[in-house]
Amino acid sequence: MRLPMFEFAEAESAAEACRMLAGAGPEAALLAGGTDLLVRMKRGLLCPQRVVSIRRLRAGRPAVARDGARLTIDPLATMTEIAADPLLREACANVAAGARAVGSPLIRNLATLGGNLASARPCADTAPPLLTWDASVRLESTGGERSVPLHDFFTGPGASALRLDELLVAVEIELPAGSSGSAFFKLGQRAALEIAIASAAARITLDRPGGIVLEARIALGSVAPVPLRARAAESLLAGREPREELLAAAAAAAAREARPIDDLRASAAYRREMVAVLVRRALAAALASAGGGQ
Amino acid sequence: MKRLIRLRVNGEPVETAVPPNRTLLEMLRDDLGLTGAKEGCGEGDCGACTVLLDGLPVSSCLVLALQAEGREVVTVEGLAREGQLDPLQQAFVEEGGVQCGFCTPGMLLAATSLLAANPDPSEQEIREAIAGNLCRCTGYQKIVESIRRAARRGP
Repeated sequence: MRLPMFEFAEAESAAEACRMLAGAGPEAALLAGGTDLLVRMKRGLLCPQRVVSIRRLRAGRPAVARDGARLTIDPLATMTEIAADPLLREACANVAAGARAVGSPLIRNLATLGGNLASARPCADTAPPLLTWDASVRLESTGGERSVPLHDFFTGPGASALRLDELLVAVEIELPAGSSGSAFFKLGQRAALEIAIASAAARITLDRPGGIVLEARIALGSVAPVPLRARAAESLLAGREPREELLAAAAAAAAREARPIDDLRASAAYRREMVAVLVRRALAAALASAGGGQ
Repeated sequence: MKRLIRLRVNGEPVETAVPPNRTLLEMLRDDLGLTGAKEGCGEGDCGACTVLLDGLPVSSCLVLALQAEGREVVTVEGLAREGQLDPLQQAFVEEGGVQCGFCTPGMLLAATSLLAANPDPSEQEIREAIAGNLCRCTGYQKIVESIRRAARRGP
């Protein structure tokens, strides 16, 4: 499969990339890992005149930096780097798990976190985990910077708040006080190289190990036009003692909140049932790692 | 339109002029004559085009040749030394890990990267390392056994 012709430019800084995007509209495309962009170009779905590589912006920086309770993740970090990052594995294990669920090792060595988010697919494996941490994304253009909460970022399948002249420059997480645990489960036809039929991420923060739920977050993949927070399910858990019946009720509530469709991977009805299963497992695993339950 | 790039391929410095829309796979096969890496799906699903880029296995059909500028590429042609198969290749021969051969270069490179990072992998770790490399002949068992044999024997 051949790529159509285009002009290639390599940005040395975020500011330079923004200058290259400014005013170019859809005629310019950003190239990070290339695992999405180049496939879409080969299929003729995209035909940018100019491809702007931003890979060099990654140079030398750690994938994740921690400053107090704040984690800043480089969106140019590859899925392999995110999956292996010790800070994430310790503090936000479901984000590392989401990255590990993407594609295959060959894809994870190229694909970036920023690409997974900016593509805004309902099935993006890193989106539900990041939603459970109330992550936000920093977007830069020649006009300045803005921060958008991830739950406002996704606006539809393949659509996001990211403007054509903006660059995703950071993913930020403010770690909550208390004792937190998280988990991510993905259901596919096979264990690797698979697009999720449904996925669920959960984060539970207890006031103390063995205590009550201060805050719970549940997010779903592949069961709505966007990666979806299950807010009604979350609200059942807040302030309560995390007993098994309560987790089951929350999982059932999350299944009601899902808005799945029938497609070649699964029926809507099957997806909805699987949401209940996946959320229940994710909540139980998150609770266990937060130091709750039996 | 073409741009001159420099990189290292199988340890040797290479200088070649490529247009922007040439993939690393096309450059290796068509410009450098290294036909070990295969084009299967062209979309990153099959792993037949696997090469090592700075030591990590990637689908070379999803990398622009221009992005390989200044980097280190290893193809299956870079594994044998002075006409001698490397131990992993030898293990594939002995265990029957090769049938039609189309996936073999990719399997070898994915496994080379695994063994460099983890000289004694479990079966599960081997299966995960080759999860992006499809084989339609062997059912994978002989490939997994080949990699285990190479690991047991050491480099």
